[in-house]
Amino acid sequence: MGEILIDIKNVTYRPNNFTSLDNVSFSIARGENKVIFGPEGSGSSGLFDLLVKTGIEFEGDVFFKGSPVKEFDYISQFNYKKDVSYVHGDYGLISNMTVEQNIALPLEYHSSYSMNEIKKLVDRAIYDLNLDHCKKLRPFDLTRSEILKTAYARAIILDPDLLYIENAFEDHCPLNIKSLMDSIRERSERQDKSTIIISFYPQNYIDLSDSYIMFFNGRIVFQGNRNEFLNSDNPYLVQYRTNSIQGPMAIL
Amino acid sequence: MINELIIKTGKKTLGYYRGINDFRIYVKSIFTSFRSLKYMRFRSVYNIIINQTRFTGIDALAVVMTIALLLGGTVIIQALTSLPKFGVAGFLGNILVIIIARELGPLATALIVITRSGSAIATEISVQKWSREILSMELMGIDTKLYIVFPRIIASILSILSLIIIFDLVAFMGGYLISQTVVYIPLDTFAQSVMDAFTFKDILTALLKSILFGITIPLICCYYGFKPNSKFEIPIYVSKAVIRTLFVSIILNIAVSTLFYLL
Repeated sequence: MGEILIDIKNVTYRPNNFTSLDNVSFSIARGENKVIFGPEGSGSSGLFDLLVKTGIEFEGDVFFKGSPVKEFDYISQFNYKKDVSYVHGDYGLISNMTVEQNIALPLEYHSSYSMNEIKKLVDRAIYDLNLDHCKKLRPFDLTRSEILKTAYARAIILDPDLLYIENAFEDHCPLNIKSLMDSIRERSERQDKSTIIISFYPQNYIDLSDSYIMFFNGRIVFQGNRNEFLNSDNPYLVQYRTNSIQGPMAIL
Repeated sequence: MINELIIKTGKKTLGYYRGINDFRIYVKSIFTSFRSLKYMRFRSVYNIIINQTRFTGIDALAVVMTIALLLGGTVIIQALTSLPKFGVAGFLGNILVIIIARELGPLATALIVITRSGSAIATEISVQKWSREILSMELMGIDTKLYIVFPRIIASILSILSLIIIFDLVAFMGGYLISQTVVYIPLDTFAQSVMDAFTFKDILTALLKSILFGITIPLICCYYGFKPNSKFEIPIYVSKAVIRTLFVSIILNIAVSTLFYLL
């Protein structure tokens, strides 16, 4: 693993007086792929506000490449978002843009590439994700897997340091998103790029992830590598793995 | 009874104050977003400007020209038939320039743009917000205030300025042709009296109005477009956007006219 990309130290985050994150500390190194999971309302939305949304009030510290996120000015916040990309379950494609326009948008807005270079990069992403047949279509005309693949292509087109994927693959046919999973797998092998996957199904990402974190009630209740995730007798993890209502977590 | 009235008035006043303060914060955020202007590539908003100009300007041409023709015809017929009765037929050009070029042209154009494009802007942004498109733009590091509002202001200024010029030309020329069915006046006499009446001040008034309308219409409509937090609030805020933009535009029209009459 390389340098520390994101370092979260003793963070407590209380949006609307609800404790979403309670004294949370962990870090993500460059090249590391982390899966974060836990029951509904366990703290992943707080983590999204903290790492992706930015500009929020919280106790503790978050460092990105060694710089405190709290001290980011107006422009730095936008630049930070170029390095941290996000794919979420609602996808958020721009409805009046075609697939290729959606993918090209971050490049057109941020990069200094010429329009020809942008076209080449977009065409490459479209080819890699098997979106050729629908590149002129708008989101309204796409299937769910095509929408997801377009959102993913848009998220990685700037080649961000950190990719944050939140409940994006749930309820998708594995065959339809195979090209996308291959792309994520290829990315996860790179030593200069990191990925955070938030999911209710952590076992689906065994071959992608280096480490796991489990949240419950805003706190980290398990943290470990792939082997520890598979073999630990941590009661929270055991309850989650066995999908049982018996255990330390009171599930409503 | 009096207490209730005081409480109601207080609540209303507080509501207005909060609304104005909220709008002030929004305008301030637009100004703040200009800081990221140098980091934004113009090509990313180029298509938005083109599309908005086409919708607000070119697509509205037929409506603007029809209304200009009808209003121009009405004003010219009224002027040609009424002015001689009061012995002020010599002021025909002045009256027409004041009514059509200074007042009717900019205001009627603004009203058409508000009802067509203002409502469309507010609806588009509301729907984009509801479907999390705006959030996804923000997460891409796009300054949405700049990316959404700025091109619409540019397109709106260009469109309104062009539409006002076209409105005035059609109202004068078409109106003249329509008026010939009711009352006869030689074209050269009509044209000369209008040309003589035109001053630099009239052009400046129309120009200032087009710039002010071009800024306020998208600004207010975008403000209400960003407001809804749920689907059912969309029509409420779209309606507010149209009504309040109309109200502000009429006030602006009066303010600019008054300013130029005083100068």
